[in-house]
Amino acid sequence: MVFDQSSLLLQQLVNGITLGGVYALIAVGYTMVYGVIQLINFAHGEIYMLAAFVALTLITQCHIPFFASFFITIGICGCLGVVLDYIAYRPIRKSPRLAALITAIGMSIFLQNLALILWGGQIHSFPQDVLPKIFTKIAINFSDVIVTWLEVFILCVTVCSMFILHYIITRTKIGIAMRAISQDKVTASLMGIPVNRVISFTFFIGSALGGVAGILVGIYYNAVFPTMGYVAGIKAFAAAVLGGIGSVPGAMLGGWVLGITEVLGAGYFSSEYRDGISYAVMILVILFKPSGLIGKPLPQKV
Amino acid sequence: MKKGLYSCVCVVMLLLATSLWADTIYIPVASPYTGQLASFGEGVKNGALLKADELNAAGGINGNKVEIQLEDELCDPKEAASVATKLAKDPKYSIIIGHLCSSATLAALPIYRDAKLPAITPASTNVNIGKMSPYYFRNVYKDDFQGFFLAKYVHKIKNFKKIVIFYEVNDYSMGLMLAFMLEAKKLGIEILGTEAFTSETTDFKPQLTKFKMLKPDAVFIPGYAPQGTLIIGQATSMGFKVNFFGADGLDDELMLKNQNAEGLFVTTPFLPDKAGAQAESFIKAYKAKYNKEPNWFAANTYDAVGIAAAAMKAVGLKREDITKYLAGIDTKEKAYEGVTGKTYFDANGDCLKDAFIKTIKDGKWVSADQQLIE
Repeated sequence: MVFDQSSLLLQQLVNGITLGGVYALIAVGYTMVYGVIQLINFAHGEIYMLAAFVALTLITQCHIPFFASFFITIGICGCLGVVLDYIAYRPIRKSPRLAALITAIGMSIFLQNLALILWGGQIHSFPQDVLPKIFTKIAINFSDVIVTWLEVFILCVTVCSMFILHYIITRTKIGIAMRAISQDKVTASLMGIPVNRVISFTFFIGSALGGVAGILVGIYYNAVFPTMGYVAGIKAFAAAVLGGIGSVPGAMLGGWVLGITEVLGAGYFSSEYRDGISYAVMILVILFKPSGLIGKPLPQKV
Repeated sequence: MKKGLYSCVCVVMLLLATSLWADTIYIPVASPYTGQLASFGEGVKNGALLKADELNAAGGINGNKVEIQLEDELCDPKEAASVATKLAKDPKYSIIIGHLCSSATLAALPIYRDAKLPAITPASTNVNIGKMSPYYFRNVYKDDFQGFFLAKYVHKIKNFKKIVIFYEVNDYSMGLMLAFMLEAKKLGIEILGTEAFTSETTDFKPQLTKFKMLKPDAVFIPGYAPQGTLIIGQATSMGFKVNFFGADGLDDELMLKNQNAEGLFVTTPFLPDKAGAQAESFIKAYKAKYNKEPNWFAANTYDAVGIAAAAMKAVGLKREDITKYLAGIDTKEKAYEGVTGKTYFDANGDCLKDAFIKTIKDGKWVSADQQLIE
């Protein structure tokens, strides 16, 4: 190889951190819902996909400026999560967990096909003139390593979202309620915590973050299509498990670990087995530390 | 009284009209009509329906009405196999037109072979198709030809010396890459590196980052348009300025929406302005019916349906007889003359046809200024 290895590595790390941040955002949604109601919400990837479509429609059809569309879409996605919980999961909250899991898969298929009917199966992209001009400009150019403003924007949004989330969970009343429910639902309700309302709020936050990720990915790769949520959802789920499902900092760490491994795997080993490499890392971690990187160890049942 | 007479005449005419067709012959045309590659399927559909209309206007096949039956398989090998199973079982089908993607064709191939059902693919270019079944024919060139042709073109006309290849993990793309690399080696073109992606990939940046560091003259994308347009867009956003070229898989309207695809060039089996006189009326009729220029999928499918109809006209509807008839079209003299030129098959059922180069100029597909005619 004739080129500078260190600048290749740096550029790949930039790619990996951007991708990992997006995985982390989606993974947080999985892990929050799991923490509160022990449900793996497979429709979460579809919320992410719908966010990209809603933003695209708002920008190109309704001609709403990018940043306004960004916040409207986040709101819509949050509400969508609440509606999803209300119509699909709340009625069967007391049934066996398998029933809820199957419902989640059903909702995922339903939403995917809804998008297929509404927008068609082709890959849509954001026209170049509707996005802020600054996104395509170069922010840092350091010996062949290029970071665009869009990448800076994605990283900032990801980190800010994480901080806001951390604040909500640790410092606010509703955050404390969420943690209480995740420890013991019955006792929490006996203490006067409105369990259903807090669960709705959890869905709102989780789905809104998934929505943020959907828009960011939609503009970063410029590809919006109905099945985009499937692969991203599985990857983010893997990230959540890797970090320790139920743990919010774990999901963030898991997202970044998975994103960086994937990009480095594709860049240095074999791009053909790119997904395989990232899942292999996940399996290895789970083998040696079944509770994930920073998950709480499961209590022994006697 | 007069009124009664009129209605009598009307009824008789109606009866005549419905009984004009002795029977209906169904020709299944299998291709993706929905999903990512739906726009390719649109050309296939339009070409097939136009040919069927013209056949019926000319009296059908020996007095039987021709009806095209569209079978959607999303370019997915699994779907293609299930469509093929359904068609192979039904004795009312004597010949299949399809499939479009090489991977789909290769999945359907053993099923048609076991049912001794002849098939013509208007678009699958993978090298192995003809060799694997005596019942499979095609009126499109093979990837080895296409790959060799592209290597010669970039060597002679474009004078590229260092090339990287960004291929998709499927039969079409990998076959094309191998052929290109073989010829490139002979011509002294240096292949700096190859990277892969799958049809689900949307993030091409890790691989493009690697390519960028290698500083090639051009990137060869032997894939399909939905990924091709993303690759070119992402390369531009990374500040990776380089020539891109591909094969017939990138020949799609979708590429035109990408402003960065200006200058991209691809191989294609059919160019409206390079086609012979026989294509003139086809292009005219196509424009009148669909209000756009025919692409190569439309032209090749139009001819494939034409070949199938000629076979049924000559020897009837028995699967064996049709296979024998098609295998008999083996010299230039016996060739079927269609809008894409003369089609005749070699011992494998493959055919030899010219390739052309088209390029994007001012947001439109046009014939490249310099063609390579051998």
